[in-house]
Amino acid sequence: MGNYLFTQPFFKKNGKAVAIYFLVAIVFWFVFLVIIPQLYMLDLSFRSNVPPLARGGPQDFYTMEHYQHFVFGSKTSLEAFNFVDLGVFGRTILVSIMVTIANLLFCYPIAFYIAKIANPSTARLLIVSLIIPFWINELLRSFALRILFANEGVINNFLTGIGVIDQSILFITYDIGLYTGLVYAYILLMMFPLYNAIESLDINQIEAAKDLGSSSLRTHWRIVIPHAKPGIVSGCTMVFMLTVGALATPVVLSSPNTLWFPQLIYQWFNMNDNWSRGSAYSIILLIISVIFVLAMMRIFKVKIGEIIK
Amino acid sequence: MSADVELNNVSVTFGSFYAAKSVNVKINGGEFFSFLGPSGCGKTTLLRAISGFQDPSEGSVLIDNKDMFGIGPNKRPTSLIFQNLALFPLMSVSENIAFSLEVRGVSKKDRQKRADELLELIALEGQGEKKVHQLSGGQKQRVAIARALAVEPKVLLLDEPLSALDLKLRQRMRTELREIQKRVNITFIYITHDQGEALTMSDRIAVMNDGEIEQIGPCDEVYNNPLTPFVATFVGENNPLFGTVKDINQNKVKIETPDGDFLSTMNENKKLNIGDEAIAFVRPESLFIPRDGDNFDNQIEVNIESFEFEGNIKNFYATLKSGTRIKFSIPNAIDTSSISSGTKLQLGFESIKSSILPKAQLAID
Amino acid sequence: MMGMYIFIFFAYLFGPLIVMSITAFNSAEFPSISPWECFSFRWFNEGKIAYDGQHLAGLLSDWRLHDGIISSLIIGAGVVSLSVPIGMAAAIVLTQVRSQLRDIYYSISIMPVLFPGVIIGISTVVLWDRIAGLGGDGFISDVGRNGIFLTILAQTCFISTYCFLIFVARLQRFDQTQEEAALDLGATQTQVFFKILVPYLMPAIASAAVIAFLFSFENYNTTVFSILSDQTLTTVIASKVRLGISPALSALALTIIALTIIAAVTYEILRRRSEKKYAQSQEIFVKEKAASGRINKEYKAGFKVPKGIVAILLVLVFATYGATQIVKNDLYGQSCIDAADQEKKSKFLEQLQTLESNELTEEELSGGSLGGTEDYGDIFGDPSLFQDFGGFD
Repeated sequence: MGNYLFTQPFFKKNGKAVAIYFLVAIVFWFVFLVIIPQLYMLDLSFRSNVPPLARGGPQDFYTMEHYQHFVFGSKTSLEAFNFVDLGVFGRTILVSIMVTIANLLFCYPIAFYIAKIANPSTARLLIVSLIIPFWINELLRSFALRILFANEGVINNFLTGIGVIDQSILFITYDIGLYTGLVYAYILLMMFPLYNAIESLDINQIEAAKDLGSSSLRTHWRIVIPHAKPGIVSGCTMVFMLTVGALATPVVLSSPNTLWFPQLIYQWFNMNDNWSRGSAYSIILLIISVIFVLAMMRIFKVKIGEIIK
Repeated sequence: MSADVELNNVSVTFGSFYAAKSVNVKINGGEFFSFLGPSGCGKTTLLRAISGFQDPSEGSVLIDNKDMFGIGPNKRPTSLIFQNLALFPLMSVSENIAFSLEVRGVSKKDRQKRADELLELIALEGQGEKKVHQLSGGQKQRVAIARALAVEPKVLLLDEPLSALDLKLRQRMRTELREIQKRVNITFIYITHDQGEALTMSDRIAVMNDGEIEQIGPCDEVYNNPLTPFVATFVGENNPLFGTVKDINQNKVKIETPDGDFLSTMNENKKLNIGDEAIAFVRPESLFIPRDGDNFDNQIEVNIESFEFEGNIKNFYATLKSGTRIKFSIPNAIDTSSISSGTKLQLGFESIKSSILPKAQLAID
Repeated sequence: MMGMYIFIFFAYLFGPLIVMSITAFNSAEFPSISPWECFSFRWFNEGKIAYDGQHLAGLLSDWRLHDGIISSLIIGAGVVSLSVPIGMAAAIVLTQVRSQLRDIYYSISIMPVLFPGVIIGISTVVLWDRIAGLGGDGFISDVGRNGIFLTILAQTCFISTYCFLIFVARLQRFDQTQEEAALDLGATQTQVFFKILVPYLMPAIASAAVIAFLFSFENYNTTVFSILSDQTLTTVIASKVRLGISPALSALALTIIALTIIAAVTYEILRRRSEKKYAQSQEIFVKEKAASGRINKEYKAGFKVPKGIVAILLVLVFATYGATQIVKNDLYGQSCIDAADQEKKSKFLEQLQTLESNELTEEELSGGSLGGTEDYGDIFGDPSLFQDFGGFD
């Protein structure tokens, strides 16, 4: 196997014991933890939902019903399409895109400021301050927002206290809390790729552009943003992927009436005990994620290695 | 203990690229042998073939008459000193030196003893506890040598270890290396692109170009009687005079060039015939300004363009009639203050100090 | 304008956390600031039994939280001991695969972090449920249905990638001639691995272990599926939040914030120290850094001792001032809490009387027009509470 896969004969290069450790570790990871579970889930998503004991029995057959359910709804339903699930799905993707864009817009000025304007000790301080909140559990960060946004929460109490409003604003019910929380949740993953990309830009290029009469806005558009492209793509991909697959933040902050797509999966899986359908919905989520990554790679012509570093 | 090293028809290929092509050389036990050549000429590849990092694609490497094929670097009686020294930064100086003993399971006490001995050899007594980064460049160099010598190898291989040092230190290390070699009396195989290093330290050198050996011999022989135009121009400086062979008388050859006819000496291994295209070489230090009573075999008319003062000598750059540029050096002891740019001069050189070779590629600086 | 924007941005980042931290010290049942009841540590201790009989556990008395923390620790240890060796092996092998295959290999290695966490959890569970089903009633069946075991596997799947990336970054700076030098000096390949490569990777091993543990400890999306009937810290928190928000969670969050900051600072100090050591051993590296990294250059300047002292003094002054205010206004201690409870109890009794005298109001109250029902856990809507209440004096 050596000559096709490796630059040097694998066992000779690493010694037998170490080579075996490498192989076992990698095969265990790739095959048993990554590939087989995904394949099995894919298989399950095409099977009828039967209790574990009936697996392999006559009731266990291949079917498209779970995917059909996602699009058309249950067979007894009167609607032509499964508006509820499709709605949740569409909203999740749409909101995720908005959250990604919001993150990009919020982070860009800060990243640029830290990378190119702030003096080094300020920059260092700001970076440390950026990191600290993200050492803290996503659930607890969402919980902090919940305290603020609850009907009897800090904001409402404050606003009623000073007499601006006389009735609580229903932040949670209208999902304002959720959107704020989702923007909050992964903002660091936008900040750092952006910062790294802008940091590597030679300051002389910006000055040269200004010297040639380029306006500040134009300098950003023509010099900084093209240079930061890999960072922008990387940040957007990470934020989108994490937002679309978020569960912790919606659990804490979404209103009882609306669901986030992973919550829907959770319901099928844990509350309705329909693992096959949960799997099918997971596959749908996975496909969307993969399409998004591939689209970003194709549109912006970056390699996958540039997205995750 | 030293060992002979023999390369029999060694070729090393990477895909279709020949890094070394049919190399034959026999290095005697206890010899200081250098491979000299420009970067990319394949000398490092040969060193890796000897040390065991790269088995030859064809031919064989023999150490002490034993074929080394398939024997890894950790099982060969050779030690390699790397270009960047590759000292282990996380270990102390002593641990570095005794590493080869540690991996062979030698007891800690014996290791320490051997490390102390070697520290003494390299004049770094009592500094074994230091970390590598606390040493100066020259000290690191010596630690690398001590580390390589700790297992008493039969052959020490050195891959341009002096290239990172400054000039003064490099010159001192040359002498030191030579002394260490005499003291431990093992075979040294040295690789360099610096002809000064090769000439000052080696017993014999092999000049390499494009994966092939152009010439093997003692330093003075290679310098005085180069076998190819490449060697003539790579080892030391040389002025080439291009022309055709006009007359041959035993080993004296007359060459016709646009700047006149010159008498030169033919190498007996590189026979020429009348009418062949050839190059006559004359070194800068072999060109003289004739004084009264001097009678040179060859006369050459030059037009001085510029000069530079180098201390012990003064270098002059001049053009010939045809426009060919040549360089000559005059010892500082001789008064040359009357010569400046634009001066026309008559130079002379002896045919015995000039060699003539069939036309071929020169070394490009 | 930029300054203003930065201020708002950081207020957005820190504001919620600070508010939450403050609410942990308010003795009121609902995490809040503006109706400040009493300053109290009760949410870090036993919590309280509310005037209406409801028990609100504090940090110390919450056994579910304790169980969750213990499972989280076990899982964290398991994940570290699997994902660090896996990440290391994968990163080292990356340096050895042929260049044509490197992109594919790299893509596979980073794929798991691109999978949504819920999917990793689900796929692990469905696979192992199947395996457990095949194995009959024996050991395999137990293992396959063990939430802690499944969670370790599921988390290892993607946390290995983070470890992998840490090792890749460190290996990029590795001087491979050191391996060759060791080989040349007679070391076997195994010795090269243990005596040269592993010591070199030590800082990365430490970083990877810390990162792996933290990622494991705070993971929810994957864990909530793979943990099955067990509980980890995050799933306990999530189920608590869903039931209604309590200041005990603020107290927990503040504790975790304090611990993570301490851990992060310690880690940062250790990392910097080892990096400094490394940098010293590679003088050239230092020079490069000094030339390129404007941040590193001024690093020390940013943390001068005087500034630190000023900050500490400021904090001390504020703390003393705050403490004296609290004591002066009798906002601290049992007397304050008793008073507050007494007031609430009488208010509650009043309401009860009004309820009894006016049937219509009851309907209105349970309908939720007070606005607080959702967060108080519908205590007014539950008639059984009124029966139980009789026992409370």
